[in-house]
Amino acid sequence: MSRTADPAAAVMDLPRRDAPDKLAGRTRYTVDMAGPGTLHAAIRRADIPRGRIIRVESGVARQMPGVRAIVTAQDAPGTHGIGISDHPLFAGKEIRYNGEPIAAVAADTLEQARAAAAAIIVEVEALPPVLTMAEALSPSAPLVHEGWKDYGVLFEGGARKGNIAWEAKVVRGDTDAAFARPDVTIVEGCYEVGRQSHMPFEPRAAIATFEDGRLHLVTSTQVPWTVRAVTSSLLGIPSSQVRITVPPVGAGFGLKFDCTIEPVAALLAWKTGRRVSLANSRQEEMATCLCRENAQIRIRSAVTTEGEIVGREATVLMDCGAYGGEQIFLTTMTAHTLGSNYRLGSVRLSTRAIYTNTPPNGAFRACNGVYNTFALERHTDEICAAIGMDPVEFRRRAVFRDGSIGSTGQVFEGEVLVPMIERMEALKQKSGSREAEAGGRLYGRATTVGSWFVFVGPSAATVNLNADGSATLVTSGVEIGSGTMVQALPQIVAGQLGIRPQDVVVKAADTDAAGYDVGVGGGRTTVSLGAASVKACEDVLSKLLPVAAEMLQTSQDNLVLGKGRIEIAGRKGSGATIASVAQRAQALHGPVTGSGSFTGQGVPSMAGCAMGHFINAIDIPIFAVHDCEVAVDPDTGHVEILSYKVVQDVGRALNPRAIHGQIQGGVVQGLGYALHEDVTIDAKGRIAQDSFETYRIPLAQDVVPVEFELFEGAPSIGPLGVKGAGEVPILNVGAAVACAVANATGKPVSRLPLTPPRVLGLLVSDEPPLDHPHIGKDWSSNVIALPQSVRAG
Amino acid sequence: MTMRLFINGEERSAAVHPLTPLVDVIRDELLLTGTKSVCREGFCGACTVHIDGVPTMSCLLPVIAAEGKAVTTIEGVGGPGNMNAVQHALEEHDVVQCGMCFPGMVMSMTAYMERRPAAPRADIKAAMSGNICRCTGYERIIDALLSIAAKEDTTA
Amino acid sequence: MTEANSGSDVLRPITIAGALDALGGGRQIMAGATWLMRAPVRGEAPPKAAVLIGSIPELQQISIGQDQVTLGAGVTHTKLAEALAGVPALKGLVTAASRAANPPIRAVATLGGNLCTAAFAAGDLSPQLLALDARVTYATKDGTQDMDMSQFLAARGNLSGGLLTRVRIPLGNFRSAHARLPLRKAGDYPVAIVSARMDQNESLMRRVRIAVGSVEATPRRWSGLEAALEGQPYDLKAIADSAGSLTNEFTGRDGVEADGWYRTKVLPALVRQVFEDLSMQFAERP
Repeated sequence: MSRTADPAAAVMDLPRRDAPDKLAGRTRYTVDMAGPGTLHAAIRRADIPRGRIIRVESGVARQMPGVRAIVTAQDAPGTHGIGISDHPLFAGKEIRYNGEPIAAVAADTLEQARAAAAAIIVEVEALPPVLTMAEALSPSAPLVHEGWKDYGVLFEGGARKGNIAWEAKVVRGDTDAAFARPDVTIVEGCYEVGRQSHMPFEPRAAIATFEDGRLHLVTSTQVPWTVRAVTSSLLGIPSSQVRITVPPVGAGFGLKFDCTIEPVAALLAWKTGRRVSLANSRQEEMATCLCRENAQIRIRSAVTTEGEIVGREATVLMDCGAYGGEQIFLTTMTAHTLGSNYRLGSVRLSTRAIYTNTPPNGAFRACNGVYNTFALERHTDEICAAIGMDPVEFRRRAVFRDGSIGSTGQVFEGEVLVPMIERMEALKQKSGSREAEAGGRLYGRATTVGSWFVFVGPSAATVNLNADGSATLVTSGVEIGSGTMVQALPQIVAGQLGIRPQDVVVKAADTDAAGYDVGVGGGRTTVSLGAASVKACEDVLSKLLPVAAEMLQTSQDNLVLGKGRIEIAGRKGSGATIASVAQRAQALHGPVTGSGSFTGQGVPSMAGCAMGHFINAIDIPIFAVHDCEVAVDPDTGHVEILSYKVVQDVGRALNPRAIHGQIQGGVVQGLGYALHEDVTIDAKGRIAQDSFETYRIPLAQDVVPVEFELFEGAPSIGPLGVKGAGEVPILNVGAAVACAVANATGKPVSRLPLTPPRVLGLLVSDEPPLDHPHIGKDWSSNVIALPQSVRAG
Repeated sequence: MTMRLFINGEERSAAVHPLTPLVDVIRDELLLTGTKSVCREGFCGACTVHIDGVPTMSCLLPVIAAEGKAVTTIEGVGGPGNMNAVQHALEEHDVVQCGMCFPGMVMSMTAYMERRPAAPRADIKAAMSGNICRCTGYERIIDALLSIAAKEDTTA
Repeated sequence: MTEANSGSDVLRPITIAGALDALGGGRQIMAGATWLMRAPVRGEAPPKAAVLIGSIPELQQISIGQDQVTLGAGVTHTKLAEALAGVPALKGLVTAASRAANPPIRAVATLGGNLCTAAFAAGDLSPQLLALDARVTYATKDGTQDMDMSQFLAARGNLSGGLLTRVRIPLGNFRSAHARLPLRKAGDYPVAIVSARMDQNESLMRRVRIAVGSVEATPRRWSGLEAALEGQPYDLKAIADSAGSLTNEFTGRDGVEADGWYRTKVLPALVRQVFEDLSMQFAERP
């Protein structure tokens, strides 16, 4: 019991309150809510990757049975985007990817809507598409966006040119001098990854109605306020006229961190005056998945024999697909992933989001960190081989220490990575090796490091302390499965107010009730919503405690809260129940409510070294150390995971059992990325994997129990010292598996996923090392030249 | 055509084409939305129901093939207050995340654990190859299922 | 109500003769339905007219005799595996039936459906039945036809108006094995399958049958490898080496899941696996 709540009061293995209903099939997700009387919508999509639309004729379709409305680009001519406003709701004049929406139909039944959508006449002139980043960067490539210069720029600072949608750069120190040093070994490598599809069980889905002249969208989203803003802008109505509510979400993993189909449902509801349900079929969901982007990377490092990295240059190409979307923002993250972990004497990074005529990409758990960590750690092991140093020893020497400078000049505080590496070494020692289980197969092991961040950003919270001693927490938070809304947040509020977490009612997101929030993702929910909630609780206490002090005839400083009571410190059993104090306060001053808000305070970076970055320095870094043992079948290329270990920096573990769930789930999603989950683009610009048959996510037999240790106590501005724990477990899985497979096979592993055919290909052929001819070996050839006037300035 | 189903102990009927996937009848006509329609190709298991006690993917079963048989959906196996052993174990082990796969997981594993209550870890994993979970990474589900037998051992 | 919606487009006969009478009118034969109901996923129209054969008792029969096993075409994978678990010679078939797809699919997918779906290249039962010298009975209104597996697989794309009713497998003094290679541990369709049987013999390999599935569009016997091994002493390395030198008998099909080269490249490993299994089975015999 403590006035300034003891953080330990919030630590517990609180069970999930939503589990019984979820286990009984009673939980109603958006896809369960259409019900009778609702119109169903279907989208007519492009079936070519690039073309000019000559005619869209919907007259015949409109007359078909059950059809109530058809909408096209004419009904929503605007654009939206993150950084660049380049994305229309429907293709109007140009088709830029196979699967792009051209029109949508609302009808009495889904079958009728689909039939009518198929009957819309779409006349197009097909044009040669740009399907790869190499093609997009060739001087003769057609422009995916011919009018790119005229687009609205929503965030200043990125260089742009033609098919280069955005370029972010880091330049710190003199890499030319570093590479010219006589005492360094220069190591260079190229890496490549495919896309990863989220495959949430609930597809993107929305139900739209107009109620009293205002739009109400029930939607399966991670970002209610983004949906509110984008939908209102595309419909041309004030954002205050849009209400977003979010039932439990059948998983997101970042896919639902953008507004996608909601405005389509809204337009159809507007046109029909009816309730309209729109949900992607599984095939649509996969064909238009805002995947983790495919990427190509070149890294070059100058390293001394002692393991000091004196210079590093890297170029990362990220395929944003047909529209910039999240990738514009994510160019920022190279500085904080590929440019992180290790102390660099000098560094130059170029990250380019490239337009192609392929389905747009988006955010996925630990976004570009996953593949940049893969590339960086493979490169690090190649450095170790080149200078003849043990990989763990190299990492001990080269990683961030207390006070180390990151790529953008940010100062990292605390000894975190080195003790985490030692914890991992101890864990490895304790558990022993599973090499014997490899049998006749090739055995390999690797330990990797990684760094990620919490995407802080603004959040708001209101706490009502009810007269019955319960509290109601009102935020725009969404329960996407991670448990934050049912575990961490009620634990935090309960700890602050001295009540039981089961007495904290958590209201699901409703933009009419709660204040602005950036969204549920980026590991930010516990941190940002938690911090706003703590402040709201402080506001509540500032109203409650004076009343209690008067009731108990003591000073506020003597009061402690806990177990539903306010008592005088040191006098157990004294005082009153929180309910009675709340009733008294309500009688005197009205109901007790508190509000709180939070945003990242910003951390300084070195002036002038980051260009085109949305975040120059990160408020809360998170580190992870992973270790993996593999057995590789030399005859089939199958990789079996023998063991997997994680040491994760969590700040403070509020609910260790829930974090365990996130670690096991995140690592397995990473194993899918590393070994099984392959997305390829076919000749028609479509994602070839359109089903659970062809897109192979791990099954129970493909996984192992993850051994883990939670590293607590690293600095964090999060409430009670917490950091997000749900996003980061996936971070270095691709890296750890790839390095272990490289060690097992002795082959240069430069690509993910390591499917059996790819691994067998590595084993049986003598392919030259991967090279990306379209990424220049000279780093400065991979940046857009500045105009003379700017350069001079 | 009117299809007659005996579902969760009740006679129900629906006017649908006889080859309509059973899952669509359950969800859209009978409004039992606990059964999830996710892959519609027999890979994910989210639509699993029991047909005469046998776990069956309702996305691939024409409704007419369920006529004259006992259909049990997740709504028929127990809920808060009267959960079955599998549901209990999954709740106690804090396994649930987004929850979309669990109705199907519960249906499959309830039937399996009744048939093989002492199944070892590897067998349970093999039995689960028709149930995909994208959130949890499976192992804690297996831990929970193994705890059922362990609990029965200690109470026996 | 349109004709497609009328009840007569979906019939549930209870005899084979009834089923044959019901064919026509665009009605497809539907057994376990696991393939036909996936039509929308393949971009095809959902089935609207069918003859459901799940209520025909004759198609469910399983008889295990001294010299042969007879399986009704409507027997599911699960039932097949359970019924034959005690027949040592057919271990390969039990493996095929108990590892295919996933448990709920195995509980409904039938032997006949697996053999008749020409578009499904990765079926487990066909290569195994090829290796076992199985024969199938195909019934039409004009009578029944008896075919060996090779004939049936060659003809199945063009057969119509009839029904696969049963499969007969000769028994004898042999053992069988089945190796399949999914890309995960299980749950996906194998990219390559090797089925084999051979006689029990003290020293030499006799009546070797090897069939390959999923590598090409239709499973077929690996005649070159059979010939190379026939009469040879059992030597696992030599067997795998022979397989390695003869994979060019097959042209692997390119698919979303794997390229053709991979399917043929893994064949020697699968051959080694089945022959290892066979030798262990011989070692176990009383």
